[in-house]
Amino acid sequence: MWSTWAFAFFALLVALLWPGTGVLARWRRRRVALGREQAENALKHLLSQSSAGHAASLASLQGALRASDRALLSLTERLEREGLIRTRGTEFRLTSEGERVALQVVRAHRLWELYLADELGVPVGQVHEKAERAEHHLSPVEVERLSAALGHPETDPHGDPIPGRDGEVIAPELTPLSAWPVGRPGRIVHLEDEPPLAYAQLAALGLRLGQVVHIVDATTTRLVLSDGENEYVLAPMLAGNVHVTAAAGVAAPAEPVLRLSDLPAGSLAEVVALDPGLRGFMRRRLLDLGFTPGARIRPDLTTFSGDPRAYRLRGTTIALRRDHSDRVLVRAVA
Amino acid sequence: MSEQAAVSPGDIVREAASLRRSLQAGFREEVVTSLYGEVERISRRAVRDAGAQPLELDQRIDRIVTSRALGLPLMLAILAVIFWLTIVGANVPSRMLATALFRVEGLGAGAFDGLGAPWWLTGFVWHGVFRGLAWVVSVMLPPMAIFFPLFTILEDLGYLPRVAFNLDFLFKRAGAHGKQALTMAMGFGCNAAGVIATRVIDSPRERLVAILTNNFVPCNGRFPTLIMLATVFVAAAFPPAVASLVAAGSVVAIVLVGVLFTLVVSWALSRTILKGEASVFTLELPPYRRPGVLRILYTSLIDRTLFVLWRAILTAAPAGAVIWILGNIVVGGESLATHVSQALNPLGHAVGLDGVILLAYIIAIPANEIVVPTMLMVYMAEGMMTDLQGFDELRALLVGQHGWTLLTAVNLMLFSLLHNPCATTIITIYKETLSAKWASIGALMPLGLAFLVTFLTATAARTFLGH
Repeated sequence: MWSTWAFAFFALLVALLWPGTGVLARWRRRRVALGREQAENALKHLLSQSSAGHAASLASLQGALRASDRALLSLTERLEREGLIRTRGTEFRLTSEGERVALQVVRAHRLWELYLADELGVPVGQVHEKAERAEHHLSPVEVERLSAALGHPETDPHGDPIPGRDGEVIAPELTPLSAWPVGRPGRIVHLEDEPPLAYAQLAALGLRLGQVVHIVDATTTRLVLSDGENEYVLAPMLAGNVHVTAAAGVAAPAEPVLRLSDLPAGSLAEVVALDPGLRGFMRRRLLDLGFTPGARIRPDLTTFSGDPRAYRLRGTTIALRRDHSDRVLVRAVA
Repeated sequence: MSEQAAVSPGDIVREAASLRRSLQAGFREEVVTSLYGEVERISRRAVRDAGAQPLELDQRIDRIVTSRALGLPLMLAILAVIFWLTIVGANVPSRMLATALFRVEGLGAGAFDGLGAPWWLTGFVWHGVFRGLAWVVSVMLPPMAIFFPLFTILEDLGYLPRVAFNLDFLFKRAGAHGKQALTMAMGFGCNAAGVIATRVIDSPRERLVAILTNNFVPCNGRFPTLIMLATVFVAAAFPPAVASLVAAGSVVAIVLVGVLFTLVVSWALSRTILKGEASVFTLELPPYRRPGVLRILYTSLIDRTLFVLWRAILTAAPAGAVIWILGNIVVGGESLATHVSQALNPLGHAVGLDGVILLAYIIAIPANEIVVPTMLMVYMAEGMMTDLQGFDELRALLVGQHGWTLLTAVNLMLFSLLHNPCATTIITIYKETLSAKWASIGALMPLGLAFLVTFLTATAARTFLGH
C-alpha cells in the first residue's frame, strides 16, 4: 500500500519539477512571457501617446493595458529601473532606449501583419489582432529574417510605415480625405486600422490601398468618392481614417479597362495591370506566369461550370479561377 | 577616389530607398516585367514561327476534352476503359501464375517432407511465408502490369491537368485546391506517392486537406480487392458476355464514391479544423505530347510495378508467417486465428463484415495489398480447401462456407475504400507534415468514417432488406 502512495507522490513530484516540461517550468515560462507582453504593450502605448504629442499617465496606461494599479506600479517601476521610461510627476515618457525597444515591437507587429496578409492570404481585417499576439514572441533575429524574406518592406497592409532595423521611420506624405480638395485624384496610401470597427467599415465599402480616387461631393453629412468605376459613400467621421497622396503620373486609361474574367471567350486583349489589392504571393505567382503589362491574352477554354477558365498567354495555356482572373485588368485589342 | 569616399553606405541605402519609392508598382513587378520584355525581344529575334499547325490540333483536342457536354463523360469513359482492360487482361495471367506458384508450393513442401524436415518448418516456410508471397504475386502482378502503363500513358499525354481543370469547380466548392485532383490521380498508384505529390499545392491549409483525404482514392494495393469483389459478387449476377463490363463499371462506381467522400470530407475539414479561404489556383495546361513507349514501360514496370510489388512481398512474407502461426498454434482446441476472429465477430457483424475480415485488416496494416490473401488464408486455414484456382471456387468458398452475402461484399468494398491508410502512407503523412497530430488524424479519421459508413449501410440493409 505505502509503495503505491510513494510511487504516486514521486510521479507527482516529477510532473511538477521536471526541467523544461514540468508544471513549474511551464508556469515560470508563462510568467516571463506575460511580463514581456505587458512591458512591451506599455512601451507601445507610451510611443503612440508621444507621437500624438502627449505624455502617458497611469490612467491612460490602465485603459490600454487593463491591469490593476498594483501591477501597473510594479511594471512602471521595473521599466524605469531598466532605463526604458522616465517618470516626471504623474507622467511617463519613453527614454531613447525605451523608444528604440517600442519601435522594434511596432516593427515586429507590422512585419507580421504584412506576412499574414501577403504570404498567407489572411484577410487584412484579421491581421491586426493576430499580430498583436505574435509581436511579443518574435526574437530580433526572427524579425530580421521576416523583413528580409518580405523584401525589406516599408509599409504594412494598412499603409502604416514599418520602422527600420535602427528604428528609423519613414513617414509618407499623407493627407486625410477630409482635407483633400474635391475633384483632385489621390492615391489611397493608408487606411487606419484602429478602431477595428471603423476599418471593417472601410474594407466593407471596398476601399483598398493603391486605389486612385477623387472626391465627387463633400457635405457635412457625407462624402462621395469615385475611382472612375464605382462610387463610395462615407460618413465624414470615416474620411479622417483614409489618407491619400497626390496620384502623380497616373493618367486615366485611354480605352475602357475590363476585368479578365469579363473578357468574352475568344477575344484578344492586352494585360494593363494587376489589381493593386492583389498582393504578396498571389501577385508574384501571376507575374511569374507572365501576366505582365502588355502581354497578349485570350480566353481559350471554359469548363463545365464556367469557372475556372483557361487563357492563352505567351504560348501557354493557364487556368485561373474567377476570383483571381477578376484581379487582372485588361484592355481589348482589335 | 575622393569622390567615392565622400559617399557613405548610409547615403547609398537612402538613395536606393528613395529610388524604390519612386517605382510605381514595387521593384519585384518592375523586375519581372523587364525580364519578360527582354525575353520577348530575344525570342522575336531568334525564334521563327513555323506555322501554328500543332497548336491548333492541341486546341481542338482541348475544346473536346474540356467541353461542357463531353468533358466529364469522356473522363469517366477513359477511366472505365482502363479498369476494363485491367480486369479482362489480368484474369488469365493471374490464374496461370496462381496455378504455377501453388504447384511450386506443393513441390517445395514435398521436397522438405522428403528431406525429413519437421512438419512445422515445412508449414512455416511453404504454407506460411511462400503462400503469402504466391498470393500477392498472382493477385497483384498482372493488374499492376496493365494498370500502371495505361495510367502512365494518360500522364505522359498531358491529360491529367485537363482532369484537374474539369473537376476544379467541385474542389472550389469544397474549399480545396484544384490541383488536389492531380494528387488524387497519383493516389490511384499509391497513396504515399499521392501524399508526397501534394507538394504541388502551395497553400499549407489546402495541402493538408489534400493529404488527409488522399486515402479516399483507392490505391493500387486496394484495387485487387475491389476488382475481386466486383468480379465475384457484382459481375457474377450478369451474363458472362457483359460481366467484365459490369465489373469495370462497379469499380468506376466505387472510385466515384471515393471522390464523393473526398469532396465531402474536404468540405467538412475546410469548415471545421482547417478553416480558411481558397487560395491562389493557377494550373498550366501543357501541350499534348506523344508518349514515349519505352520510357512508359520502364517507369511503369520498373519504377512502379516492381517497387510496389517488392514492398508488398516484403510485408506479405512476414504476414504469411503470422497467419500460419495464428492458424497453427492451438489453444483450448481452437487455433489462435479462430479465437481472435471470434472475438472480433460481434464488431464485424455490426458493420456487415465478420471477424476474419477485421483480423485480415489488422494483419494488413503494413500494406493493404495483402488483405484479400490474408483473409483467404485465414478462411482456408479453418476450412476444407487447400488450393484455389479461380473466381468460381473463390465464390464457393466465401458464399458457401463462410456465409458471405451481397451486403458483405458491398460493405467490404466500402470499408476497403474508406479505412485507414497503410503504415507507409501514415509514415509519409508524418514526414510531410512533421506532426504526429496530423498523422494520427490522417489514420483515425478514415477508420472512424469507414466504421460509421459500413455500420449505417449494414443497419439500413438489415432493416429495409432483411439481410
